[in-house]
Amino acid sequence: MSLEVRTGPPAGAGNGVARLAAGAAPAQVPPMAEDAPVVALRGIEKSFGPIHVLRGVDFDLRPGEVHALMGENGAGKSTMIRLMSGAHRPDHGTVEIDGAPTRLSGPAAAQAAGIAVVHQELLLFPAMTVAENIFLGHAPRRRSGLLDWPRMRERARAILDRLDCPDLDVDEPVSRLSVANRQRVEIARALSRDARVLIMDEPTAALAEADVRRLLDVVRSLRAEGVGIVYVSHRMDEIFEISDRITVLRDGRTIATRPTGAVTEAGLVSMMVGRDIDRLFPREAGPVGETVLEVRGLGAGKVRDVSFRVRAGEILGIAGLVGSGRTELAQTIFGVTPATSGEILIGGAAVTVGSVRAAIGHRIAYVPEDRAQHGLVRPQTIRENISMAILDRLAPRVMVERGRETRLAEEAIARFAIRARGPGQVVAQLSGGNQQKVVLAKWLATDPRILILDEPTRGVDVGAKTEIYRLMNQLTAEGLAVIMISSELPEVLGMSDRVLVMNGGRVAGILDRAEATPEAVGAAMMTGHAA
Amino acid sequence: MSPRSPALPAMPPRAVSLRSLLRHETLLALILLAALALLALANDRFLTTANLLNQGRLMTEVGLIAIAMTFVVITGGIDLSVGSILGLCAVLVGVFWKNLELPLPVAMTLSLGVGTLAGLVNGLIITRFRVPPLIATLATLALYRGLAEGISQAKSVRGYPAWFFELGQGSIVGIPTQLWLLLAAALVGIVVLRSTTFGRATYAIGNNEQGAAFSGLPVARTKLLIYAASGFMAGLAALVFVSRVTTTRSDMGTGIELDVITAVVLGGTSIFGGRGFVTGTLLGLCLIQVLKNGLALSGVRGDGTVVIIGAVLIVAVLISNVLKRWNGE
Repeated sequence: MSLEVRTGPPAGAGNGVARLAAGAAPAQVPPMAEDAPVVALRGIEKSFGPIHVLRGVDFDLRPGEVHALMGENGAGKSTMIRLMSGAHRPDHGTVEIDGAPTRLSGPAAAQAAGIAVVHQELLLFPAMTVAENIFLGHAPRRRSGLLDWPRMRERARAILDRLDCPDLDVDEPVSRLSVANRQRVEIARALSRDARVLIMDEPTAALAEADVRRLLDVVRSLRAEGVGIVYVSHRMDEIFEISDRITVLRDGRTIATRPTGAVTEAGLVSMMVGRDIDRLFPREAGPVGETVLEVRGLGAGKVRDVSFRVRAGEILGIAGLVGSGRTELAQTIFGVTPATSGEILIGGAAVTVGSVRAAIGHRIAYVPEDRAQHGLVRPQTIRENISMAILDRLAPRVMVERGRETRLAEEAIARFAIRARGPGQVVAQLSGGNQQKVVLAKWLATDPRILILDEPTRGVDVGAKTEIYRLMNQLTAEGLAVIMISSELPEVLGMSDRVLVMNGGRVAGILDRAEATPEAVGAAMMTGHAA
Repeated sequence: MSPRSPALPAMPPRAVSLRSLLRHETLLALILLAALALLALANDRFLTTANLLNQGRLMTEVGLIAIAMTFVVITGGIDLSVGSILGLCAVLVGVFWKNLELPLPVAMTLSLGVGTLAGLVNGLIITRFRVPPLIATLATLALYRGLAEGISQAKSVRGYPAWFFELGQGSIVGIPTQLWLLLAAALVGIVVLRSTTFGRATYAIGNNEQGAAFSGLPVARTKLLIYAASGFMAGLAALVFVSRVTTTRSDMGTGIELDVITAVVLGGTSIFGGRGFVTGTLLGLCLIQVLKNGLALSGVRGDGTVVIIGAVLIVAVLISNVLKRWNGE
């Protein structure tokens, strides 16, 4: 599958390959009369120790275009971004800036060349103000050498206005800002250095729908100003809405670069995964059994008077806006923030879930939304992470049985097709999708009856997404009761047997699969009651 | 050194054995050997069995506390109050035995109990009230020392029975008694940290406390036990100390926390938590003691020795960082 040999000149390379792989839209000759690229990568290869991450990447970015970069996790997107931003240097191939081969000696050199990155995990200083963050490292100074505060605030204000953020106070500490506003600050920081190239790494992964719209408006206005934008995202609808061209990366190679109008969603997906995916949401509902979990009038903090039941073999989707109390509900059932009112019944019997340990004892598992903070201990190995929730079972006589633990990890790597060197690899080195598989493996090792998945496919590529959906089918077929929280409406509608909609910490309605149309769920999310 | 485990052969072979060898501990062992060799060449009174065993005697108090401190630092914490707990326990042995006229074994046990309790109080302040360990133990550093001084009324206690001095001055099969104690404590520390669920929880807490809590690991209980153990070891060190110097005074152990932390950090334990080994701490401990003694014997003045130890600490940490980067971490 990945044995194709690249032939032909770099600019057109991949088109022939893509046609074979995709069988989709015919290859278009890219319009030639465009501006010369601001940044171009030619035949880039890069290895880290024995791992060959990039095996031939060609990419170019023109001024005033949004160039989407797509690929599964582990395809090499992050490494490619780091090359463009000067954090790594290629082993082979050249980075060209304004047509001239350039050796970026480090991030400072890339910044000087006008290349800026808006990172996935925003790299701001929480205790400093918006203005300080924007001008960190290049603040305007007076002749005496002291900081010129009035000018700094004024210029920060001007940049934020350019980003259409009149509501952002330049004196506010960043710690008090929402994720969306922090992102605007990060974009403003890039603009303050007169960036001509803006690399956005999954900018919408953590944003709610309304903030996504505003961000896309910002991207459009930057494009109109002539900024070249590299846009990395897993969200198809966004890519089709915003981008001018799309480059697909797979296994460290450029598979194709196409004008956005010339590709279809299905074609794009098969280019990314190298095979056809007939359906994105392959829900196969099986026989539904007894009620496994019932919640009556549950309350804790933001969560108020929530009642529902989940049966064996069923997927209950939970939809709701960000802040509607979905994650809080999950964490109450899982014992992180124990319930202050109401009842939890498991298999018909009332139980108290006062701690995570108690929840694990009741065979409840929770795959959290925040993988890095709550799901994994990333500096540790795959083996140590997978065994973490069942350590006491692996240590019947005080000592952890290393052999059993290693076998458990090896089996998980095989079963979930985790791309890793072995059980001893540190989790932080894995791609997002593979990290998520480690979290799933860790929780399935506890042998749960009730599995709560909180944003199970966030920051996960298309291929791994489908694998996770398949796994959910398999688990429900084995009789698990699954609760799936998701902000992606298509996912909720595609995978759930029933949909519980939350609003303001309460249940706005529970809809059967047949009733759960985008309109009905959307209306319940916004208004707080089902139509 | 490594505990026997039937599963060890099942461990996957490391991809590049040379790189895994070049860890901090190996590096430290090499530096230690080099120091031994150089100092032996410089002075013929240094590399003698009698001198080395005597050095073992002198480093035991710091060593005992450093083993527990390794756990504390791996969780991302610190315990500055160990020196004061040592002083408090030392004073209390004297007070329980002389003033309250309790039998000496009972006085020793009670004193150990107080040490453990003092550590437990540290742990409670840290876990219940979420006070950062640095602040919490800085406060109890003053508090426990104040208690020790108040209770002792600046009077020292002497005249302990002869059998008590066996602990700090005697030997068993030619090895100083307290060195056996250190060895036993080290073995327990190594096994607990490497192979038990408790050790796993210790690392997980240091790397990501929330992640550990979301995995159902007993975060608060683990930290509580670790700080209690730190207090207990400080109490144990107090008994050894009193037995070695034959008297109790309230200023005993002042500043020992810095020696302890130096040994732990020199041993490769990350001050940010999450990584570290008891064996590293022991190597760090030996290196410091060897330098102190060897340099003194070679005629280097005390202040010069301190400068050299500081320099070694910085160089070891620097080289270790370079190695880490080279290993691609």
